[in-house]
Amino acid sequence: MLARKDVLAGLLFIGVALLGLYISRDYPIGTALRMGTGYVPRLLCWTLLGLGVVVLVQGLREAPVAGLQSSGALATWRSVIFVTASLVIFGLTIERLGLVVSILLLIGLGALAARGLRPLETLVAALVLIVLSWGIFILGLGLTIPVWPEW
Amino acid sequence: MELVDHLALGFGIALTPANLFFALAGALIGTLIGVLPGIGPIATIAMLLPLTFHLEATSGLIMLAGIFYGAQYGGSTTAILVNLPGETSSVVTCIDGHQMARQGRAGAALAVAALGSFFAGCVSTLLIALFAPPLAKVGQSFGAPEYFSLMVLGLIAAVVLAHGSVIKAVAMIILGLLIGLVGTDGNTGGTRFTFGITELTDGIDVATLAIGVFGIGEIITNLTQPQETRSLVAQKITRLWPTRDDFRRAWPAVLRGTALGSILGVLPGGGATLSSFAAYALEKKSARDASQFGRGAVEGVAGPESANNAGAQTSFIPMLTLGIPGNAVMALMIGALTIHGIQPGPQIMTERPGMFWGMIASMWIGNLMLVIINLPLIGMWVQLLKVPYRFLYLAILLFCGIGVYTVSNSSAAVLLAAFFGVAGFVFARLECEPAPMILGFVLGPLMEENLRRAMRISGGDPMIFLKRPISLGLLIAATALCVLVALPAIRSRREEAFQEN
Repeated sequence: MLARKDVLAGLLFIGVALLGLYISRDYPIGTALRMGTGYVPRLLCWTLLGLGVVVLVQGLREAPVAGLQSSGALATWRSVIFVTASLVIFGLTIERLGLVVSILLLIGLGALAARGLRPLETLVAALVLIVLSWGIFILGLGLTIPVWPEW
Repeated sequence: MELVDHLALGFGIALTPANLFFALAGALIGTLIGVLPGIGPIATIAMLLPLTFHLEATSGLIMLAGIFYGAQYGGSTTAILVNLPGETSSVVTCIDGHQMARQGRAGAALAVAALGSFFAGCVSTLLIALFAPPLAKVGQSFGAPEYFSLMVLGLIAAVVLAHGSVIKAVAMIILGLLIGLVGTDGNTGGTRFTFGITELTDGIDVATLAIGVFGIGEIITNLTQPQETRSLVAQKITRLWPTRDDFRRAWPAVLRGTALGSILGVLPGGGATLSSFAAYALEKKSARDASQFGRGAVEGVAGPESANNAGAQTSFIPMLTLGIPGNAVMALMIGALTIHGIQPGPQIMTERPGMFWGMIASMWIGNLMLVIINLPLIGMWVQLLKVPYRFLYLAILLFCGIGVYTVSNSSAAVLLAAFFGVAGFVFARLECEPAPMILGFVLGPLMEENLRRAMRISGGDPMIFLKRPISLGLLIAATALCVLVALPAIRSRREEAFQEN
C-alpha cells in the first residue's frame, strides 16, 4: 500500500474537484453581477483542484514513510465494513421494523467490527441499550419512532 | 449599570428550574464524555443537536454549552488518573498531572485542575459579558462586503492556528464549502450536487455531517488502532485538598493560564486545545526551575487546565456576537441556532437578549455545578473508566444512528452519515483535519449569500472588497497570516507549539 499520505490526500482532492466540475458542467454560470447556480461551485472546484495538485506535488517530494500504523489491513476493512453496514441496516429498518429489532440488528452487526466481543456480552449490551434508548428517546423525549415492527 | 441589568436578566432566565436542569444535564454529560477517551465534545454535541429541536432554544443552547465546558473538566480527570487524555485539550495535563498522581498527590492535582478551571470559568464568563455587546455593535455596522471578508479572515485564521498542514486544511475548508452547496440554490432555485437524490434537495444537515465525520469516523479510527492499555492509578485518593505550597505555586499559573486562554479562545481556530498547549509552554518558559516539569509540577496542571476552560468559553464570543464560528463546536452551536430558525449574527443580542444573557449566566452556574459535583464524584467517574471501549463504541454507534435519524426522521440521513463516517476515517488516515471542513460547511451558504450581495452592491466589480476600508483591512490581515505561516521560522515554531513531551 502507498504509504505517502499526502499523495493520496492530493489525489482525493483532485478527484473530488474533477467530479464536481463534471457534475456542474451544465449549471448556468451567469456573471459576477448575476451569479448563476454554477458560479460558486465551479470557482470552488477549480480552487480545490489547484490545492490538490499542490498537496500531491508536496507528497511526491516527501520520502515515503514506512507502513501505515494499523492493526493489519484485514482488521481495518472489517471495522470499516461492519460499522458502515450496521448503520445502513439500522437506517433501512427503523421505520418498518421499529426500534427494538433495528437496535438488535445494529448491535449484532456492529459487534462484528471489533475483536473480543463474546456473543452473550453482545446480547446483554443490546438489551441494556434497547431499554436505555426506549427510556431516553421514547419515554423521555417523546420521539415518534415506532417501537415494534409494523405489519 | 447596564451590565448588572443584563446579568440580572440572564440569571433570571438561567435560574428557572428547567434551565438549571439542562445546565446540570449538559455539565454531567460533558464530564462523562470528557472522562471517557474515544468520544469528544464535537461528536456528542452533534449527536444531541437533533434532540435540542424538541427543547426550547435557550435550554438547548445551555445544555450544549455545558457539554463543551464540562468536557474540559472531565478530560483532566482521565489525564491525571490514567495518563490518557480524555480530550485533546488535556493532552498536556497528562505530563505533570499523572506524575503527581503517581507520587500519591492525585487528589491535589484533581483539585487544582477543578479550582483553576472554575476560576477561569468565572473570569471568562465576565469577559463575555463585558466584550460581547461592543463587538456586536461593530458587527451590526458591517455590510455584505465586510462580512464576506470577515469570514475569509476567520477561515484562514482558523487554519493557521490549528495544527497540521495548512494547505490540506484550506483544501478541507473548500471541501466543506462544496458540501454546503449541496441542495437547492436559494437565489436561482436550481439544484446543485444532488446526484438526483430527492432527499438531498433540501441540503445536508450539519448534524448529519458532524455525526458522520466525528462520531462514526472516530469509531472506525479507534477500532482500527491498537488498543491502548489503561494504567489506572490504583491507590485510593485520600487527600483531596492541595497543600499550602501547592496553592502558592498554582495561583500565578492559574492567572497566567486564564489570561492566555481567554485571548486565544477569541481567535478563530482557537479554543480549548490551543490554549492548553500554549499555557503549558508558557509555564515551562516562565518557571524558575524548568526541570521540575514532567516530574509532577503543579503549575503544569494549573496553567493548562485554567487555559482550556477559559479558551472553551471565550470562543463563544465571536460565535455569539458576529455569527462566526472559531472552531467545530461553535459551528455546531450555529447549527443549533438555525435549527430553531434563529439567524446567527450580531442581531441576536438585541433581538433575543433573554437567550443571550441567559446562556452567559448559565455558564457561570454550570461552572459552579461542575466544581461542586465533580470533586466528590471523582470516584464514580473513575469507575466509568473501567468500561472497555468494545462496549462503549456500541453505545456511541447506536446513539449516532438514532441521533441522525431524528434529524429529519429519514433513513436517507442515516445512510448519508454512514458515508460521511467512512469519509471521516479516510480523512483521519490521510491526516486531513475534519474541523476546518465543518467550519467551511457552516459558513458556506452565508459566504455565498454575502458574496452575491456584495456583487450586487458593486455592480459586479470584485474590487469592492478592496475599496471598503474595513473589508480591505480584514483581507490584508488574512493575507498577512498566510504569508506569516509560510515563513520557515514561523512554520517550525507552529509545529513546535503542538508537540509537547
